[in-house]
Amino acid sequence: MSSADLRYPRQTLWADYMRAAAGVLLCGAPLVALNVNRWLALMLAAGVVLFGVFLVRTALRQWTRYVLAPDTFCADGPLGGIVEWARLDRLTLSYYSTKRDRSAGWMQLSVGSAGGRTIKVDSALEGFYDVAERAAQAAEANNVEMSATTRANLKSMGISVAEQEEAV
Amino acid sequence: MLQYAVRRVLLMIPTLFVISLLVYIIIDLPPGDCVTAQIDELLSRGDPDALKHAEELRQLYGLNHPLMYRYFSWVAGIFHWDFGLSCQDTVPVRDLIGERIVLTLIMESATIAFIWTVSFVIGVYAATHQYKVGDYVASFFGFIGLAVPNFLLALVLLYVGKVYFGLSIGGLMDTEYMEKPMSWGKALSILQHLIIPVIVIGTSGTAGMIRRLRANLLDELQKQYVVTGRAKGLSEMRLLVKYPLRHAINPFVADIGHLLPEVISGSVIVSVVLSLPTTGPMLLGALKTQDVNLAATFLLLVAVLTVIGMLVSDLLLAVLDPRIRFGATGEK
Repeated sequence: MSSADLRYPRQTLWADYMRAAAGVLLCGAPLVALNVNRWLALMLAAGVVLFGVFLVRTALRQWTRYVLAPDTFCADGPLGGIVEWARLDRLTLSYYSTKRDRSAGWMQLSVGSAGGRTIKVDSALEGFYDVAERAAQAAEANNVEMSATTRANLKSMGISVAEQEEAV
Repeated sequence: MLQYAVRRVLLMIPTLFVISLLVYIIIDLPPGDCVTAQIDELLSRGDPDALKHAEELRQLYGLNHPLMYRYFSWVAGIFHWDFGLSCQDTVPVRDLIGERIVLTLIMESATIAFIWTVSFVIGVYAATHQYKVGDYVASFFGFIGLAVPNFLLALVLLYVGKVYFGLSIGGLMDTEYMEKPMSWGKALSILQHLIIPVIVIGTSGTAGMIRRLRANLLDELQKQYVVTGRAKGLSEMRLLVKYPLRHAINPFVADIGHLLPEVISGSVIVSVVLSLPTTGPMLLGALKTQDVNLAATFLLLVAVLTVIGMLVSDLLLAVLDPRIRFGATGEK
């Protein structure tokens, strides 16, 4: 297996930039243009911070190149990190959706190896399935304990994992 | 998680804008305005200056401006906590709702605490003692709570509280403390007067929650991992708390979003029956007199509470159980 360079698609990044800009504008404009009550100002400022952080995170994603190799998974960019599959010690796969019926959502994979920084990627990343499959294989090989939620989400992606006994 | 929070918060902003616009337009839709009723009364008395007075009042309340102008003036005012003038007493809405909002929040917080505490204890007991006397008794009271209308329960408890327990009834404090600043005596009086409203408003919510918690916990307790845990000699308490209770508690979290507006809107009739100085009766009066600023402000506050409640419950659920559901169309 050769290594693969993975990136977030441009349209996904643009959509996130638009969300961040809309949020900063909607929360920040009243703060600048109007004489806002201090409690409301506090809430709006919290909104500006939230969307600002999201803007920075989107920019970091744009500047980061993810490399999936047989032995490692590397986030090459600002605040990047590396996961050695042989030393993988944590794996979480979560599913989020903003819809009531929880449809049309997205997955978030979080992996880390001993002593290393945790890398988080969304299902919008090109080649996300391959990363999740490799992470699941490594987790099984290393006997990493996975939550029931993570196992259910892996199964829903068609990635088979051996049943682990619940740690009761 | 950050992306989830951003998307949810971003959805809140247009939602609140659309709600406020719809509420404002709908309250203003019926023919006439809040001045009409006052002028009708003056005309019936034969006041020759009634029509001139009506024009003055309409200018004072800004009713001579187009609807959209009034709406955007009201929205702009919200940012500096100015909700315009109320037609009822020609006083700022902010002054009218101030104390009532505080009393409403105290009462509703106590009600929510009552609902959660009682339903959690009874729900867990009923599930762990299925088909025993305690389960039947809890189910019986649950059904009674669901079936009896709140206002009827209020009337019964008023009578029982006064005649058999000598409780001071009606209102949220003794009359001697009204219009006075907060003191220990006033706080104690409010606490005493809270008992009946909290039981009355909380009973139906408690009943529904008990049924849901019992059903969910029974489902969890019958799963394989519980049997395995029991076979391995785990204590019953640890077996209950470690996983089944954590999964069964999801409805509690999901209900945060529904509980706030339900409790506020559901307590209007009870507040009228019990003469409670909360927001409910004032909202009713504002809607009857077409007091757009006052009614729209109340409804906007309810909408804000609903949207914030839904956000909190969605974020908590996303943290507690970020699992894909069968039937959902899946990831990107």
